[in-house]
Amino acid sequence: MFELLFHHPLVAFTKGKLIFLSSMPGWLFALLAVAGSALLAYLAFRNGAPRLAHRWIPVWLLQTAMFALVLALLWQPALSLSTLKPQQNVVALVFDDSRSMAVEDHGGSRIEALKKAASDQFINKLKSKFQVRLYRLSGSLEPLGSTAELKAEGSATHFAPALRLLAAESASLPIGAVVLFSDGGDNAGGVDLRTMTEIRSRKLPVHTVGFGSETMPKDLEITGVQLPWRALPDSRLQALVKYRQRGWSGAKTKLIVRHGDKILSSREITLGKDGVERLEPIIFQSGNAGVRNIQVTLEPLSGEANTANNSLTRVLSVENRTPRILYIEGEPKWEFKFIRRAAEEDPTLQLTTMLRTTQNKIYRQGIRNPKELEEGFPSKLEELFDYQGLVIGGVEAGYFSATQVELIRQFADRRGGGILFLAGRGGLSDGGFAKSGLAELLPVTLPDRKQTFVRDPATVELTPVGRDSLITRIEEDPEKNFERWKKLPYLANYQDVGLPKPGAVVLAEASVPGRGKLPLLVTQNYGAGRTAVLATAGTWRWQMVQPLEDKSHEMFWQQLLRWLVADTRGRVSVSAPERVLQDDGALKIAARVKDMNYLPCGDAAVEAHIVGPEGLSAVVDLHPDAAEPGGYSAEWFAPRPGGYAVEVIARRGEQELGRDAFAFRREDGVAENFRQEQNRELLEKLAEQSGGRYWKPEQLDRLVKEIEYSEAGLTVRETKELWNMPAIFLLLLGLRASEWLLRRRWGAV
Amino acid sequence: MRPRVFVFTAVVLVSLVGLALAFQRGGRSMFRDDDDGPLALPPDANEKTEWAFARLRYPQYRGEGLGRWWAARGHWTVDYPKADRTFVQGVRRLTRIHARSVEQVVDLDSDEIYNWPWIYAVEVGHWQLTDAQCKKLRDYLLRGGFLMTDDFHGTFEWEVFTASMSRVFPDRPIVDIEDSDAIFHVLYDLDKRVQVPGIYPLMRGMTYEYDGVEPRWRGIYDDKGRIMVAICHNMDLGDAWEWADHPEYPEHYASLAYRIGINYIIYAMTH
Repeated sequence: MFELLFHHPLVAFTKGKLIFLSSMPGWLFALLAVAGSALLAYLAFRNGAPRLAHRWIPVWLLQTAMFALVLALLWQPALSLSTLKPQQNVVALVFDDSRSMAVEDHGGSRIEALKKAASDQFINKLKSKFQVRLYRLSGSLEPLGSTAELKAEGSATHFAPALRLLAAESASLPIGAVVLFSDGGDNAGGVDLRTMTEIRSRKLPVHTVGFGSETMPKDLEITGVQLPWRALPDSRLQALVKYRQRGWSGAKTKLIVRHGDKILSSREITLGKDGVERLEPIIFQSGNAGVRNIQVTLEPLSGEANTANNSLTRVLSVENRTPRILYIEGEPKWEFKFIRRAAEEDPTLQLTTMLRTTQNKIYRQGIRNPKELEEGFPSKLEELFDYQGLVIGGVEAGYFSATQVELIRQFADRRGGGILFLAGRGGLSDGGFAKSGLAELLPVTLPDRKQTFVRDPATVELTPVGRDSLITRIEEDPEKNFERWKKLPYLANYQDVGLPKPGAVVLAEASVPGRGKLPLLVTQNYGAGRTAVLATAGTWRWQMVQPLEDKSHEMFWQQLLRWLVADTRGRVSVSAPERVLQDDGALKIAARVKDMNYLPCGDAAVEAHIVGPEGLSAVVDLHPDAAEPGGYSAEWFAPRPGGYAVEVIARRGEQELGRDAFAFRREDGVAENFRQEQNRELLEKLAEQSGGRYWKPEQLDRLVKEIEYSEAGLTVRETKELWNMPAIFLLLLGLRASEWLLRRRWGAV
Repeated sequence: MRPRVFVFTAVVLVSLVGLALAFQRGGRSMFRDDDDGPLALPPDANEKTEWAFARLRYPQYRGEGLGRWWAARGHWTVDYPKADRTFVQGVRRLTRIHARSVEQVVDLDSDEIYNWPWIYAVEVGHWQLTDAQCKKLRDYLLRGGFLMTDDFHGTFEWEVFTASMSRVFPDRPIVDIEDSDAIFHVLYDLDKRVQVPGIYPLMRGMTYEYDGVEPRWRGIYDDKGRIMVAICHNMDLGDAWEWADHPEYPEHYASLAYRIGINYIIYAMTH
C-alpha cells in the first residue's frame, strides 16, 4: 500500500536525502511562499470575512497549503540515496547454531523456525539481487553450506567476534549487509563498544531476525552473583544474588551457597513478581585458605523445564595470609583488653599492641621479636608499612612527631592500609586531634573543644547503611541484626566526634539521653586505603554483661579489624576483569607494582606464572602500561575449561618486590543455559546502532527490499523524483475537496 | 553449781577466749584505732573513671566457731577501706590508669560485678560461696573478669578457700605461676618475690601466719593460657598497702606489694 501511494518503499524515505532538482534558488521559494500566503490571506479575508466571520482562516490555511505544495513541486523534489549494485554485493546470513536454539517454544524448536524462515525461497530471492553467503555462529563463525546443516548444538554464542570478523572481511569483500538469525542469547551479554565502532565505521547494517519466545512461561533463573573475589580465611562474606522468575510469583524456594558438596549457607526466599529482576543477599563463611568454587543455587521448583540456569559458580580466593595490625593505646583501659581478646580468637589477624602503661613505659604484645617497636611508635616507613592496619586509641596527637604524622597519613594514602581511631580521654578532640595533621585522616570533622569524652551510658543503633554492612552484621538476617544491635548492653562511654565528612559513611549512632544521636562508627576511603572512627571505648560491656555464649563483641571487633586490612595489598596487586570465563579463554591480567617505598614502580620485571588443568603451566610477561604508572598488563588465552591459578611476581634486578595471586575458571557450555528467552532488546539495539532493523521471521519478505538501500559494499547513488507520487495528487485533491466541503457546510457555496 | 562459782567460771572463760583471739591475729587489737576506721571521702570520690578498686563482699565461712566473731563486719572487710585507698594513690602515681580515689564494693548476688572486670578478695580463707555465687563467679571470670585474692594463710585457710573455688572451677587446677609468666613482668619485673608479711606478725618478728611459712603465687588459667584468678597465699599485700605510710612497716615490703598489685591490674587490663 505504501509503495502504491509513494512509489518507493519506506526505507527509501528513511535512508534517502530530500533534495530539489530545480536550479531556482531556495530563497525564491521562501519569498514566493510568504508572498502567496499573504495574498491568499488578503483575498480570503476580503471575500470571506463578511459572510464567514472568523471561518475565513481555515479556508486561507487550506489554500496556502495547496499553494505551497504546488510551489514545492515546481522545485522538483527528489530523494537521493545509495543502493547496492545488483549482483555485486554480498549479503552475509549468519545463523545462530548454539544450544539455546534447540529450545522448544511456540510449538517447535527455534532452529526449526529459523530453517523455515530462511527457506530456499527467501535465500533465492536474495540471490536474485545479491551474492549470498551463509555462516554458522556458535563458539566461532564458520561458513555454512545450507541451513539443513544447522543442529543447534553449539556450546556458546558470541556476537562480537563474529561481527568483527565480518567487518574485517568487508574491507576486501563488498558485504552489503549482515542478517543475523538468532534468539539473542549472547553469552558475553552483548556487543562491546569496540565491535560497534568497527561496524559503524564501515557503515555495515546488521539486520537481526529474532526467534523464540520473549518470555519463558515458567522459569527461575539466577542472572548474576556479586561476590568478593578474594577474602581472608573464615571471613563473613555476602553474595548478592540477582534472579528473575516467571510463573511462581509469591512461591518460596531455597537460596543455597555451596562449595563442592558442602552447604555453606542457605535460606528461604519468597519469589518476586514475574519478569522483574530481584536482588537477594546471602551471607556465608569463606572457610579455610585456598581456591573456592562458590556455587550459588536457587532450589528448582517442580515443573521447571530448565533447571540448569538455577546455579551460578564464582571463584573465590581465600588468601593464606595473616594481616598485621598495630594498635597503640594511650593508657590502660578495658576496651584494650577486650579488643585483644577478640582478635586472639581470630587466627587470621595478628594484633600487635603497644600500651603506655606509665609515663615512660610501653608494654608491647604480639611482637615478632624483642627489637620490634623497641624505640616506640615507628618513625621509619619500612617499620610502619610492615603492618596492614593501624589502630590509634586514646593517644594525644602531640605524642606523634611531625614525621610520624606524615607516615601515618602515607600509611593510608600510599600504602593502602586501614586506620581506626578510637575514643578516649586522651584521644580525638580531647587529645588535640582537631588541630593536628591527623584530622585530615578522620572521616569526621572533630569539634574544636575539650571534654568530648564522657563516661556516661549510651545505646547503639544502626543506620540504614549499617544494616547492610558486614562490619556490623552480628545476625545474618538484616532485620534481626538491626534489632539485635538495639538490645546490646549500653556502652560504658562515648565521645562527640562532630559531623561526618562528605563521602564518609555512618554505620552506627550512639543514642545519648538528653543529647540525641551522635555518630558512633564512621568509615571512609582515604587514598588507597581507608579510615574509620569508633567514638567509644566502652564496647567491652558487650562482652562482660552478656552471657558467655554471646559472641557479638568478638564478631563485631573481628569484622571491624578484618575490614581494616582485608583490602590492604602488598607491593604487587593483581586483578583480572573476569574470574569466570564463559566459553572464551581470553584473559587479561593487570598488575600494579610499587617499589620498596610503595611508590609506583615502572621498571620492574613482572611475570605471571599460570597453572591450569591437566598439568598446564605457562609463564607470561606483563608489560608496562603507558597510561598508568606502575601498571602492567598482559593477555593470555586459557585453552581448556577448568580452574586456573595465577601468581604474579615482580622483581627489580635481583630484588623481589612482591607477589600476588588469584584464581579464575573457564566454563564452556554453561552460559547457553541462561537467558533462554529471546533477547529482543539486544537484537534491536544491535540492529538500531548499526543502521539495520530488527525483524520478526514473518516479516522477512520485506527484508530483501530493505537490504537494497545499504551504504556498505558497492553502491550506486540514485535520484528518485517525487512529483509523480499518487500521494501528491491525492493530497492536492484532498486540499481542494476539503475547502469545498467546508464552504458547502457553512452554506457559502 | 553455786552462783559465785558460775560467775567465776564465766569470767575465766571469757578472758581466755579474748586472749586467744588476741593472739590468733598477733595482737591485732593494738592497731584497731588506725585499721578499718572511718575515713573522710576524698573530694574526687565520685569521679567516673576507667578503673576502681573493686572489693568483693562474700559470705562468711560458717564452720569457724568463735573465729567468726573476730571480724564482726565479715572477713571481706579486713583492711577496708584504708588499704584500698592508699593503694589507689600508688596506682594513680605510678601508672597511667585512670583510677578512682575510692573503692567499689561488689558482690556475687547482683550483676553489678560485671561492670568491674578486676576484683580483689581478702581473707578468702574465710569465705563460703553459695552455688549461685560460684556460678556467677565462674561466668564473670570466663567472660574476662579477673580475681585477685590475698591475705589468707596456712593449710586450714587454703582448704576453706579451695572448698569454694573448686566449686567455681571443678575442672581447672590451681597451679603455681611460673616466674616467666607475663603477670610478673607486665610492668615491673618481679624476679625476686619474697613473702610480704602482715604488720602484726611482723611486729612479732615473723613474716608468716599459722603454718603458712612458704609464700605461694598461684593462679587459675583459662583455655588461652591467661590467668583468671591470681592467688596470693601466705602473704598479706593488703596490710602492706594499708601500712605503707606507717614508719614501722618496712618500705621494701610495701614497695613489693605495690608492684605486685599494679602488675596484677595491668595484667588484667591487657590479657
